Amino acid sequence: MEKAAAIVSCVTRPAPGRPPVSVPLAVAMLAGGCAWDGPMSTLTGRSDLARSTLYLYGIVTWATVIIGSVVIGLLAWILFRYRDRPGAPLPRQIAGHSLLEISWTILPALILLVIAIPTMQVIFRTQAPPKPGALEIQVLGKQWWWEFRYPSLELVTANELHVPVGRTVSLRLEGPDVIHSFWVPQLGGKRDVVPGRVNRITFTPDTPGDYPGQCAEYCGTSHANMAMRVIVDRPADFEKWVATQKATPGEPAGAAAEGKGVFTKSACVGCHTIKGVSAGALGPDLTHFGSRQTLAAGMFPNTVENVTAWIRMPTVMKPGAKMPAVPMTEAEAKALATYLVSLK
Amino acid sequence: MATRGAAFQHAVPTAAGAHAPAATGVWSWITTVDHKRIGILYGISAFVFFLIGGIEALIIRLQLATPGAHVVSAETFNALFTMHGTTMVFLAVMPFNAAFMNYMLPLMIGARDVAFPRLNALSFWIFLIGGLFVNASFLVGTPPDGGWFGYTSLTLRQFSPGPAVDFWVISLQVLGASSVIAAVNFIVTILNMRPPGMTLMRMPVFVWMSLVVQFLIVLAFPAVTVGLIFLTFDRFFGTRFYDVLAGGDLHLWQHLFWIFGHPEVYILVLPALGIVSEVLPVFARKPLFGAPVVIYSGVLIGFFGFGVWSHHMFAVGMGPVADAAFSVGTMLIAIPTGVKIFNWLATLWGGTLRPTVALHFAVGLIALFTLGGLSGIMHASPPIDLQQTDTYFVVAHFHYVLIGGALFGLFSGAYYWWPKITGRFLSEGLGRLHFWLLFVAFNLTFFPQHYLGAIGMPRRIYTYQTGMGWDGWNMVSTIGAFGIGLAVFVFLVNAARSLRGPRTAPNDPWDARTLEWRTSSPPPPYDFETIPPVYGRDTFWREKYGDRRGRKPVPLPPAPDPHGTHLPAPSTWPIVMGLGIGLGAVGALTSLALLIVGALILVLGAFSFALEHHRNPMHEHQVGSIGLDHRKLGIWTFLASECMFFGSLIATYMAYRGKSVVGPYPHEILNLPLTTVSTFDLLMSSLLMVLALDAITRGDLAKTRLWLAGTALFGLIFLGFQVYEFASFVHEGLTLQQNLFGSTFFVLTGFHGGHVTIGVAWLLTLWIMALRGRLDRRDAVKVEIAGLYWHFVDIVWIVIFTLIYLVP
Amino acid sequence: MSQPRPQAAHGRPTNQTGQTGHGDPAGHASVTMYLQIAVILGIITALEFGSIYIRQLTPILVPLLLVMSAAKFSLVVLFFMHLRYDSRVLSVIFTGSLLIATVVVLALVTLPGDFLLFSR
Repeated sequence: MEKAAAIVSCVTRPAPGRPPVSVPLAVAMLAGGCAWDGPMSTLTGRSDLARSTLYLYGIVTWATVIIGSVVIGLLAWILFRYRDRPGAPLPRQIAGHSLLEISWTILPALILLVIAIPTMQVIFRTQAPPKPGALEIQVLGKQWWWEFRYPSLELVTANELHVPVGRTVSLRLEGPDVIHSFWVPQLGGKRDVVPGRVNRITFTPDTPGDYPGQCAEYCGTSHANMAMRVIVDRPADFEKWVATQKATPGEPAGAAAEGKGVFTKSACVGCHTIKGVSAGALGPDLTHFGSRQTLAAGMFPNTVENVTAWIRMPTVMKPGAKMPAVPMTEAEAKALATYLVSLK
Repeated sequence: MATRGAAFQHAVPTAAGAHAPAATGVWSWITTVDHKRIGILYGISAFVFFLIGGIEALIIRLQLATPGAHVVSAETFNALFTMHGTTMVFLAVMPFNAAFMNYMLPLMIGARDVAFPRLNALSFWIFLIGGLFVNASFLVGTPPDGGWFGYTSLTLRQFSPGPAVDFWVISLQVLGASSVIAAVNFIVTILNMRPPGMTLMRMPVFVWMSLVVQFLIVLAFPAVTVGLIFLTFDRFFGTRFYDVLAGGDLHLWQHLFWIFGHPEVYILVLPALGIVSEVLPVFARKPLFGAPVVIYSGVLIGFFGFGVWSHHMFAVGMGPVADAAFSVGTMLIAIPTGVKIFNWLATLWGGTLRPTVALHFAVGLIALFTLGGLSGIMHASPPIDLQQTDTYFVVAHFHYVLIGGALFGLFSGAYYWWPKITGRFLSEGLGRLHFWLLFVAFNLTFFPQHYLGAIGMPRRIYTYQTGMGWDGWNMVSTIGAFGIGLAVFVFLVNAARSLRGPRTAPNDPWDARTLEWRTSSPPPPYDFETIPPVYGRDTFWREKYGDRRGRKPVPLPPAPDPHGTHLPAPSTWPIVMGLGIGLGAVGALTSLALLIVGALILVLGAFSFALEHHRNPMHEHQVGSIGLDHRKLGIWTFLASECMFFGSLIATYMAYRGKSVVGPYPHEILNLPLTTVSTFDLLMSSLLMVLALDAITRGDLAKTRLWLAGTALFGLIFLGFQVYEFASFVHEGLTLQQNLFGSTFFVLTGFHGGHVTIGVAWLLTLWIMALRGRLDRRDAVKVEIAGLYWHFVDIVWIVIFTLIYLVP
Repeated sequence: MSQPRPQAAHGRPTNQTGQTGHGDPAGHASVTMYLQIAVILGIITALEFGSIYIRQLTPILVPLLLVMSAAKFSLVVLFFMHLRYDSRVLSVIFTGSLLIATVVVLALVTLPGDFLLFSR
């Protein structure tokens, strides 16, 4: 039954299979060509942090799979061997055996040692303070979107984090409202964003790519809609991205210019920053809104249609969204959307 | 079964004559104090809540079956998983355990009832009120949606306005009270109601695991109670405990919650492990292999359970040292758990395995609980946990523990004890269908969730996008969940068919080993005709088959029975007190007047409850098998719980020292000379208290009255000092809401003052009874337990005085 | 988790009721002793109050106060609550719980790094 389902899932899965990183885990799961490398797979490490976890994962998985197989196998054999047969005599009434019991107390302890020692090493290695020269980024988790600030580059963006490959990144996790958790599985384990505290994640991405992540601590209505992506750029691409982000967007033309007029005259300016236009602080910085691929923290592709719908009815698009529906006509909303999407 | 003993023939007409032993009708159930009936009430209520929680789970699975589904809204989904967790933990598995403990513990240790039958009824009614109250939130359209773990600041008024979280906070407090009352009762029962010969190490393993669980409840619940008090005060009175801007720390709630929450896991699972330890030997026809080791490993699991709570918090940023320490602690728990599993395997080894449904479920538990334990070892390693926590991997893990562990054990117990409880058999055929459906459907539901978690599916999301590789297995999981629903339906059919069938079960249908099978099925209201003598572990088996060398014990005369077959009289006060709590809870959300009415009913109910059997000769002699009065053992157990309660309050005060961001600060306003005087006053009240006890023990009633009044007066003087202190602090600008110091100080000393107030009321009650000639030498134990409580309040103040007033 | 010590194994059932004989609720302490303890408690309280104002004691003040507090605590528990004369089961239940409570309190107070006990 499970096998059949495995096939179903493999048909629907998007990416072609890749050899599983953790062989025994794959064995322990279902045999068959299931993908272990989904966009948010914890088993495809793309940074030093994620890889050190995978190293531990391998050890622990081997240990648990072996123990599990022995126990279940033994249980199955006992059930078969000692099944009730007609006319079976009363079994010997054995109350215990000290030596046996001592040995199966000590044996698990030894196995645990095999797990515990590398665990301790990885804990202290991955939580060491960041090396000088690391790129420090402030991550603010908010209901229900992410703000990324690059103090050294004087950049602010939302929901899409760009980092250069090969350089150590140190994230300062802070939050103004409730607890969130920053988690991009391919780049490493999660770390909570706790208001009133500063937490850190330090990692060095080693492969360029686009890695989705998501808030992993329940944070209210739209917890499910608090996604993000980390885009690991080649150094040159990163420099280019930084340069674009630092530039003040040019004067729009046509429908976009009309949209800018709508923006400056509406309540939008109270919450959103567009460099050279407005300086709101509650909502995401929109200076280079059009350069982002998705809208509403990973919910929708960033198109004029979606942005129009978002402006007109944010809570329908995203349950609980904190952005109020600013009263405007369909045409105004569309112009505004055109303007925003033009902000590359 | 032995013929009716002479003791019984005499006992029934004399002692139990006043109370018809087999009353029927609704009223008899409402006022019942029979442990078996209360057990049945617990079981039925738990099953109803279990069905509600199951329906919630099915809706959750429907919503998640396909990406982007619109079965329910985000808000509804969040409420559903909150209520599913809350229901299954507090309203299904815990009361299922309570049902078996209520019904079986007295029978298994050869007792006629629990130590405090009316308290037992009180626990049940409070539990039922709490369960109905939290579910009533659905009827008014505001079910709790903050998660079963209720993390602040999400659950503060600012982020969760409206009554939804209030329902959750209040009902959890109510349910906690029920659990602690029941736990004190069971501890006294197990320690103090054993028949002669039933030494601790001869107790059945289920009884042992229950004892461990009750201590866990007594010590773990106060931590969450304190956390909930802070949350309640923050939500209702604007205190600052979880206010980050005022210097509050959100880790505080998580610590308090998981100091309770981790032992809670063992509270849920250990009884099931106990049941399996009873079932396996019976159906393998062999004794439990290494019973002492199984017992000690259970005790160790419970003990370690207090040292590992922070493994639920590896992602919150505690720092590498704390992560490492809690990681090692967590791994250590695997050792006693593994020992249990190996001992069970060795029990089966060499046995003659009779494949009853009860054995099916017990063996199913071994397999599934092993898998749950192994994935638990993975989480014990923090770096791995950081990838797995809050994903479906963890959902899979704890369902393997809580369904594969707890629920399979409970079903095993249900099939095993059903004939004893109902006098009827469940169908073995339908039972096997039930087992295999559940086993397959369970694995179909939850095994793929390991995979879903490993490829990144987070928990508690109401929707997900296609393209993540999650679609197919979520559908499989949903199909499996409906299979579980079908399996539970099969059980219901089986139960219904059985209950309509004839009573065919003999006393000992399984050829079992423990005492409950020595009496009739179902047992009479008085449980045993004569208190059974105990020769050793598996004493009933020895009576039938002899010991290892086949020697049968020499039949002994019936054990002496200090209580006769006196059956406790039914009482209306438990349900009255429960209703008072219910009204108060409703009042807390609606009107102050209703809250006051509820509180008054509760207080009056409590007085009536306490005085109901004053001077009833049947209640005079309560000295049990360890030579202690039940009430005295009970109050000490309660004080053990209070240690954790005040410990948590004091810890919070200490943790928040110097964290206030605005004044007034402690050194500016604490009045040391005044408090030294009030401390002295309270210490001297303790002297008067022992003098009162000394006087009543000697029968000197005049002195008794004098010293009781004196103690109460000194207590009132202390309260006067406190009122003056509070008033002057408020005058100087320190209020509950002012800063962290104000919140922690007033709540800590306020709860201490509340304890003093209750103590004064208790002492004055005794004093008035003494004045009216209703208190004499026979009531020394009543003065003694009031005194123990009073002295405890005194020692708490000794600690508070040092840590809050003296230490600079 | 504290469990009461198992009782001595009984080869055959015996009546344990009243065996340990703590029926006397006043324990074994006498009125004179109660008075003596009350006096000691009063003196320690006065010493606690006084020690705050003695500058020379500042370096050892916190441990000193804790010791004095523990002494008062123990006196009340052992004599006024007559745990000293009572069943061992009660001692095990209470001290075991107190131990767990103390460990949990210390952990709670010190776990968050900057929460070190008496740091301010």
